[in-house]
Amino acid sequence: MIEGMLTGLSAALSWQGILYVMMGCLVGTFIGMLPGLGPITAIALMIPVTYSIDPSYGMILMAGVYYGAIFGGSTSSILINAPGVAGTVATSFDGYPLARKGQAGKALALAAYASFSGGTLAAVFLMVAAPLLAKVSLSFWSADYFALMVMGLTAIAAFSNRGQFLKAVMMTLLGIMLATVGIDPSSGAERFTFGSSDLLDGISFLLVAMSIFALSEALSGVLRPDHKKLPGAILNVASATARRVAARDGGHKKAPAPSSKMGDLRLSREEVKDVVPVIGRSSILGFLIGILPGAGATIASFLAYATERNLARGEKKKQFGQGSLRGLAAPETANNAACTGSFVPLLTLGIPGSGTTAVMLGALIAYGLQPGPLLMHDNPDVFWAVIMSMYVGNVVLLFLNLPMIPYIAKTLALPKPLLTVLILFFSLIGVYLVSFNTFDLYLMVGFAVLSLILRQLNFPMAPLILGFILGGMLESNFRRAMMIADGSIAFLWERPLTLCITLVSLALLLVPLMDFLRGLKRPAPEAELSDNL
Amino acid sequence: MFITKDRIGAFLFLVFSCAYGVYAWQIPLLPTEQGIAVSASTLPKIYAVVGVVVSLLALAGSFLQQAARPQGGSGALALGRTVLLLVLMVLYALMLDPLGFLLATEVFLLAGYLLMGEYRPKVLFWASVPVVVVFWLIMTRVLGIYLAPGTLWS
Repeated sequence: MIEGMLTGLSAALSWQGILYVMMGCLVGTFIGMLPGLGPITAIALMIPVTYSIDPSYGMILMAGVYYGAIFGGSTSSILINAPGVAGTVATSFDGYPLARKGQAGKALALAAYASFSGGTLAAVFLMVAAPLLAKVSLSFWSADYFALMVMGLTAIAAFSNRGQFLKAVMMTLLGIMLATVGIDPSSGAERFTFGSSDLLDGISFLLVAMSIFALSEALSGVLRPDHKKLPGAILNVASATARRVAARDGGHKKAPAPSSKMGDLRLSREEVKDVVPVIGRSSILGFLIGILPGAGATIASFLAYATERNLARGEKKKQFGQGSLRGLAAPETANNAACTGSFVPLLTLGIPGSGTTAVMLGALIAYGLQPGPLLMHDNPDVFWAVIMSMYVGNVVLLFLNLPMIPYIAKTLALPKPLLTVLILFFSLIGVYLVSFNTFDLYLMVGFAVLSLILRQLNFPMAPLILGFILGGMLESNFRRAMMIADGSIAFLWERPLTLCITLVSLALLLVPLMDFLRGLKRPAPEAELSDNL
Repeated sequence: MFITKDRIGAFLFLVFSCAYGVYAWQIPLLPTEQGIAVSASTLPKIYAVVGVVVSLLALAGSFLQQAARPQGGSGALALGRTVLLLVLMVLYALMLDPLGFLLATEVFLLAGYLLMGEYRPKVLFWASVPVVVVFWLIMTRVLGIYLAPGTLWS
């Protein structure tokens, strides 16, 4: 383990490692700041670049993009009350009021410190937890993996927004169905190719990821220029907060603009004392939530915010929503810790817990690596380089972004029309440069149209990519398990471990299903009614 | 009875699952697969059935739920511009092989900016020509990726 850590450290601290982390953090921060574009888009856009470099550096780059995008989302949340990503919505609750008070610099500095602390503490937890879990998972059979994948897929549906459960299930299924296109790897039979030789190899994950995230998010911005891309429930909370802030400011709501006055970046000793315990608690909470499949940065940040608000007493509690430093530190710490936590199931089990890590899993497979417990043994350089790069990445985020905050803020004023066309170009050419097949571009346009329609109908996209990436592995593990069990489905309950995972999957499926059935008697919630055509 | 987004979505997925199921039942059983528990068509058939069940459940749920009257769309859609951008992407795919990367991309970026309402000549120039040339230089000179000049010129 020590040897692996040193190998990882040498890769992360090599000039290429530092360069890729810096590049990732900067690109991620920039893309994360743009409302409507999240870490999945940022990572998807970087994948073609990573194909030409060493897998260790590719993963380092993508990890940098991931937490850079989360930090970038915080910047736009604080400055213009427009969270770039769902995971930073809770940041705007107190970050934006602070900016309105002329303390944007302090808010951004605290966000950077909190992100750094949350990310670094979570990296320590990851360093301890990942090898342990990887060792345990070496004893897993195909049946356990199959059950784990089912659990991962049901969890992402179960953790979806209220009223979105069945839509998330449908999207997961759609992803799994798309994964069956092409020649069946076991038998060699053609499936859903419609006689086209372009479909024999199946649909590439990069094509799907680029189409349904990068292309479709950019086109959604064109289709609904006045609409922020955020899940329904989160959008409601965000607009409610914006309304509260506007009401407090005398009822007038000016068009948000990047604050020209940053104010002091320093925190006083009392303020540091006040937020240190918050950062400690939120790091642990964020990391644990991040490990759970389907939960991730959004849930972690909201939970951390709610926890700190409940723990606060007297005057401190009243400050929440009006520019509380605790209210800003909690979600900022938790979302970065959750990002790091989400690497645990990815690196140890090969099962992504979120859309972002699903895209990373696809990239790992494209590098020819087998994610899972054997990754630590077969490719310790990649495994440890990713973990060690997190320390470097957090330092880069702090020391590179903090002095650059006023300049980064100016990028919010970049003309959107130019950015949209450039994103379309980079998405198309990114896929074309991998396959040199124009058929892929037509397919991309088709997927973009499909994704646009699905987005208009309020279908979540992350379950689709998760289903698409896990679909192939799900089938191969199911076949192997059935072969070992002599064609009997009893493998699902014969081993205690498989049975436990199966039961958890069932519970994850049944609880929201029961909630859905109970909800039939109630009137449709406001969020859903506003979605009616 | 209102047409809601939930109902449209569930109905579309039902149609898709049915179509997927029809093709799943047409996947040929190869001689090597005779007598084995899981063939190439087993899981697609299961997915199709689950898809139909879930979409029917969603459809039934949307009818059983006491929905209020639709309140109209939540914002105007710039459909024309979006469709034009999609057409432009298809045209880019068509142009890429005959015109080559440099020219096709230049045309795509310029047309895209114009479609998005950017008409300032200086901006149009600086946001397209240097981008294409620098990108082409990085690809061909730094990363060593060959980008064909276009079948029309070769």
